[in-house]
Amino acid sequence: MRSNKLKIYTVTQINRLVKAAIEEILPPKMVVSGEISNWKRHSSGHCYFSLKDQDSILPCTMWASDFKSVKFSPENGMAVLATGRIDVYPPQGKYQLYVDKLEPAGIGALQLAFEQMVRRLEAEGLFEQMHKKPLPPYPQRIGILTSQSGAAVDDIKKSIWDRWPCAKLFLYPVPVQGEDAAEKIAAALRDVNGRNHKLKIDVLIVGRGGGALEDLWAFNEEVLARAIYNSKIPVISAVGHEMDTTIADLVADARASTPTKAGVTAVPDMLEVLGQLAHFEENLRSKAQWKLELCCENLNTFLAGAIFKNPLLPVQNRQQQLDELCAKLTDLIKETLAAVRNKLHAGYVQIVKIEPHRLLGKKTVELSDLKNRTDTAIRTIINRLQIQLTAQANHLVGLNPKAVLTRGYSITKNKSTGLLVRCLDDVQPADLLITELAGENLIESEVKTKQNITVRNQD
Amino acid sequence: MAKNNENDVSKLSFEDTIKELTGIVSKIEQGQISLENSIQQYERGMTLIKHCRQILSKAEERIVKISEENQTENSRKKTE
Repeated sequence: MRSNKLKIYTVTQINRLVKAAIEEILPPKMVVSGEISNWKRHSSGHCYFSLKDQDSILPCTMWASDFKSVKFSPENGMAVLATGRIDVYPPQGKYQLYVDKLEPAGIGALQLAFEQMVRRLEAEGLFEQMHKKPLPPYPQRIGILTSQSGAAVDDIKKSIWDRWPCAKLFLYPVPVQGEDAAEKIAAALRDVNGRNHKLKIDVLIVGRGGGALEDLWAFNEEVLARAIYNSKIPVISAVGHEMDTTIADLVADARASTPTKAGVTAVPDMLEVLGQLAHFEENLRSKAQWKLELCCENLNTFLAGAIFKNPLLPVQNRQQQLDELCAKLTDLIKETLAAVRNKLHAGYVQIVKIEPHRLLGKKTVELSDLKNRTDTAIRTIINRLQIQLTAQANHLVGLNPKAVLTRGYSITKNKSTGLLVRCLDDVQPADLLITELAGENLIESEVKTKQNITVRNQD
Repeated sequence: MAKNNENDVSKLSFEDTIKELTGIVSKIEQGQISLENSIQQYERGMTLIKHCRQILSKAEERIVKISEENQTENSRKKTE
């Protein structure tokens, strides 16, 4: 078999030959139409995926440096046009398409990116009506974010001042197209918001004149959408009318379809306001007049009342009451006196009827009878008492100590002390003694000696 | 005592005085008090009535004065 003179190649040699053949035969730049599958974006930023159609599959690689310029987000199943070159990838022994440009097939990439962003921001709720701030009804200080050079700034100014000449306008010049326009407008929005405690802007208008989709692109970018959404000051979008809607229009608190219509959205019509004021004035005047008349009427009703017609009425009523009481009191006291007088007279009549002389004679007889009876009774009692008294006196005589003197006893007293002499100790030698005898006779004697008879008898 | 009573009377309000007066009338009316007491009550009543009359005549004077002032003011306003 070896003698067939077939050359033997290494794997590397084969891959090199295939690479050379591809380079020789295929054009260096090809556009491939297919559907994305196995989409994978590595953390390095490089993208790996496949393009496929009904029957076959083509592996693809897109470097991060190239993917940077892709404006939409590739997804599996998306029909795309991939531009690049075919080359061999020796480590895996496969060929693949190295993509340097990726576009959606059918619609443009810008449109797709716009639609994708709309969906994403919508899902986050940035367009929801509940987040829209109410516009001030009579704004005094209006900020305008637009290009200094464009026609839009004059259109906006004129549209405001035509309706509301009292507004003060503040222009914040920003680029409205080009690479970093969106970022600059967003920065201006944040700046104005940050300084608004001093600026005191009531409402902001962000806009530009009409243009192609690419010219308006800044107003479709997420960075501006988020800046509008985060603004504390209400924002009105006023972007030229050639495109239906920008994302800025969807996020803004209110939308004017062109810069020339910004005034209608932002400010009220001065004439209308003046008309309203006149109406209010008239209304207020007539209401006040009506109220005044009503009060006057009420007052008159009060004044027509009895108390104001005759203010003396309460006094007079009381005078009458008092007079009545006074009359009653006088009548009463007269009645009382009359009654007493009547009683007195009746008493007199009765007393006269009594005939006192007759009564006196009868009473005298009764009295002397009573006196006789009393005398008799008293005398009886006195006699009885005298008898009792004599008996008691006789008895008392027997008890008298001096009665014994008649029987020969005597009473001896010490003259100096006046005390009865009962024993030897009651006297001293030379004391004077008084001895009482019956018949109130007294003897005075002197003590010579004291002797105890009992003691002497023993001696 | 009498002086105290008079002092009391001058401080009494019209309504209180009328109340006391009514009480006196009904007390005499019932006739259950002595003649002496009746006379005392009558005397008291007359003092009270005098007091009431004074109150009323003062009130009347004030009202007349107030309404006169009011009328002068009104006519002055009208002439203005």
